[in-house]
Amino acid sequence: MGKFLASKFLQYVIVIFLMLTLNFLLPRLMPGNPLIFLAGEDVGFMSSAEKEAILEKHGLNQSIWQQYGTYIKHIFTGDFGYSYQQKRPITDLLMERLPWTLLLTGLGLVISTVIGVLFGTISAWRRGTKTDANLLTMFMFLSAMPSFWVGMILVSIFAAQLGWFPVFGAEAAWSNFKGVDRFIDIVEHLVLPLTTLVLISVTSTFMIMRYSMLNVLGEDYIMMAKAKGVKEKVIKYKHAMRNALLPVATVFMLSLGFTLGGATVIETVFAYPGVGRLMFESVLSRDYPLIQATFLIITFSVVIANFLADLLYPLLDPKVGK
Amino acid sequence: MSTVLSIENLSTFFKTDKGIVRAVEDVTFSLEEGEMLGLIGESGCGKTTVAQSILRLIEYPGKVVSGKVILNGKDLLKATDDELYSLRWKEISVIPQSAMNALNPVYTVGDQIIEAILLHEKVSKSEAVKRTKTLLELVGIDGERQKSFPHEFSGGMKQRVAIAMALACNPKLVISDESTTGLDVLTQAQVIALIKNLQKKMNLSVILISHDLPMVTAICEKIAIMYAGKLVEWATTEEILNNPKHPYSKALLNATPNLSDPDREVVSIPGSVPNLVNIPKCCRFHTRCPYAFDRCLNESPELREVTPGHYTACFLEGDKNG
Ligand SMILES: Nc1ncnc2c1ncn2[C@@H]1O[C@H](COP(=O)(O)OP(=O)(O)OP(=O)(O)O)[C@@H](O)[C@H]1O
Ligand code: SF4
Ligand SMILES: [Mg+2]
Repeated sequence: MGKFLASKFLQYVIVIFLMLTLNFLLPRLMPGNPLIFLAGEDVGFMSSAEKEAILEKHGLNQSIWQQYGTYIKHIFTGDFGYSYQQKRPITDLLMERLPWTLLLTGLGLVISTVIGVLFGTISAWRRGTKTDANLLTMFMFLSAMPSFWVGMILVSIFAAQLGWFPVFGAEAAWSNFKGVDRFIDIVEHLVLPLTTLVLISVTSTFMIMRYSMLNVLGEDYIMMAKAKGVKEKVIKYKHAMRNALLPVATVFMLSLGFTLGGATVIETVFAYPGVGRLMFESVLSRDYPLIQATFLIITFSVVIANFLADLLYPLLDPKVGK
Repeated sequence: MSTVLSIENLSTFFKTDKGIVRAVEDVTFSLEEGEMLGLIGESGCGKTTVAQSILRLIEYPGKVVSGKVILNGKDLLKATDDELYSLRWKEISVIPQSAMNALNPVYTVGDQIIEAILLHEKVSKSEAVKRTKTLLELVGIDGERQKSFPHEFSGGMKQRVAIAMALACNPKLVISDESTTGLDVLTQAQVIALIKNLQKKMNLSVILISHDLPMVTAICEKIAIMYAGKLVEWATTEEILNNPKHPYSKALLNATPNLSDPDREVVSIPGSVPNLVNIPKCCRFHTRCPYAFDRCLNESPELREVTPGHYTACFLEGDKNG
C-alpha cells in the first residue's frame, strides 16, 4: 500500500512538473511577441520603460534555463505573476476569488451528490414503477435546461418579483456586516446560484446512482442476501448501496478536482465573484498571465483530488490497493 | 421417510415487452427427507426459476402466479414476510448458479457467513466466528481465510465458500443450482463429491439442478426432467435409466454419451426449444416429438403417475394407464 502510494505520488509530481513546464514554454514558444503572452495585449500601450521592466521581471534577456529557474521559484513562493490589465498580482486576485468559488461549487457538489444518490437509490429500488418513471422524467427535464436559463428564471421569480433574495453578488456591496449578520447576508446571496448549480448538476449523479444501483440489484449477491433472510432495508443499505456508491465516489472525486475552476456560467449570470468568472473575464480581455494562472490552479487541484481519490478508494473498494 | 418439500402446480411467469413468458407452468414434484433429487433439462427450461420460486426470490418482472410450495406442511407462497425471513436459510438454503458472483465484493467471506448465522441463531459474534471457521474447514478451506475478501479466492474456492455458507444454519434442504458451472472437470467432481458427502453426513435433502445427466444419474436417487417450463417426467434414477416413459426423456438419454457403452450411437434431438412467450396450450415437446399427434397440438398433457412413483406428462402414457 505504502509503496503503491509512493509511486502514485511520484507520478503526480511528474504530472505537475510537466504542466508547469508547458505553462512556462507556451508564451515563450508562441509565434509573435512573447511580451503579449506574458503581459497581455495591453503591451501595445506600454512605454518602453514598462516593457523593459517586464522583460526584466521575467528575465527574458537571460538564458531559457535561468528563466525556467526563476519561473519555478516564483510559482513555489506563490507568485503567479502580475495581471497588467487588472493591475494587481494574480495571487491576490485568486486568493480573493477562491473562497467564494469553493463555497459555491464545493457546496453545490456535495448537495447535488447527496440528492442524486438519494433519489437514484429510490428510483432504482422502485424500478419499473410510477415513482421511478416520474423521477426519471423530472431529472431528465432538469438536465435539459441550460444553466444560464435556470439562473435567469430563478432570478426573475425569487429575486426580481418576490424579492426574497438578492439579484447578484456574493455579499451586499459597501455593507459592513459582521458576524451572524454577515453570515446571513452571504447565505442569502448564495441561495439562488447554489440552487441553480444543484439543479443543473444533480442529474448526472442521479443517473449514475440509479444505473449503478440497478446493476447491483441484479447481482447474484443481492439475491443471495435475500435468500439468507436478510431484511429489505438491510439489503438496500448494507449490501446494495454500499456497492452502488463506488462509481459515484469516483465521479465525486473527479468533480472535486474541478471545483476550484468554479462554475463559469452561473458565476457570470449571478455576478458571483468566483474563479469561474475571473477566468471568463480574463479570456474576454485576453489577459494571458491570468488565464494561465487559473488553468494552473485547476491543474493542481485536479491532481490533488486524484491523489486523494487514490488514498480513499482502497477504503471503499477492497479490490483496489492492498 | 417423510416428505420435506412438495411443489404442486407451480407456475411462474415473466412479463416482457413481447408478452408473457410462461417460464414455469404447472410443475409438481416432491422431495423426501435425506433424498437427493436431480432436476435436469436444457438451458432455459426453467430450473432456476423453480428454485427461486421455492424461496420466493422471483423479482419483477417475474411472478409466481399459482401453485403451492409446501415445506413441513406449510405453504411458503402464503407465508408472511416475517415468517419468510426466519425460514429462509434456516430451513432451505441455496448454492447459486454462479457462486462466483454470489458473494458481496465489499465484505469478507467470513462476515457474509456470520451474517447468516447471526440472523437465524441466538449466538454471540465470537461463537459465529468459530462456527464459520469450522464450516470453512468442512469444505476444505483454511478457517483463517474468513478474513479474506471474495476476490482473493479462486473460482473453485468461492464455490466451496458458497457451500459452507449454505450449510451455515444447518438447513434441512439445500438447493444446488448448477453450482459447478465454470469449474474445471476435476474441481467439478470434487465439489459434487463434497455435496454428496455432506448430504449423507447431515441427512440433508438436496435438489441438485444440472444439465449433466450422467453426473445426476450417478449420485441422485430420483430425477425430475423439465422441458420448456414443464415437468415431463419424475421417477427414481433407475426407472428413468431403464424405463423412460416420456419421448423427451428417451431422446435425452440417447443424446447423452454413455461411458459404459461407448459404442452406442449418440443421437441429437432435432428441432429446437419453442419460444415460451405467449405459448399456446399444447404439449410443448410436440415440435420435436416423433410421436406427436393432433391432441398434442391443442392440449397440454398433465403429469400422471403411470406406475407407482413414476410420473410423466405425455398423452401416450396417460392414455395407456389412465
Ligand atoms: N427476468 C426475466 N425476464 C424475462 N424472462 C426471464 C427472466 N428470467 C428468466 N426468464 C425466462 O425464463 C425461462 C427460464 O429461465 P431459467 O433461468 O429458469 O432457466 P434454467 O433452466 O435455469 O436455464 P440454465 O440451465 O441456462 O440456467 C427462460 O426462457 C428465460 O428466458
Ligand atoms: S404428448 Fe404428444 S407431443 Fe407430447 S411427448 Fe407425448 S406424444 Fe409427444
Ligand atoms: Mg439456471
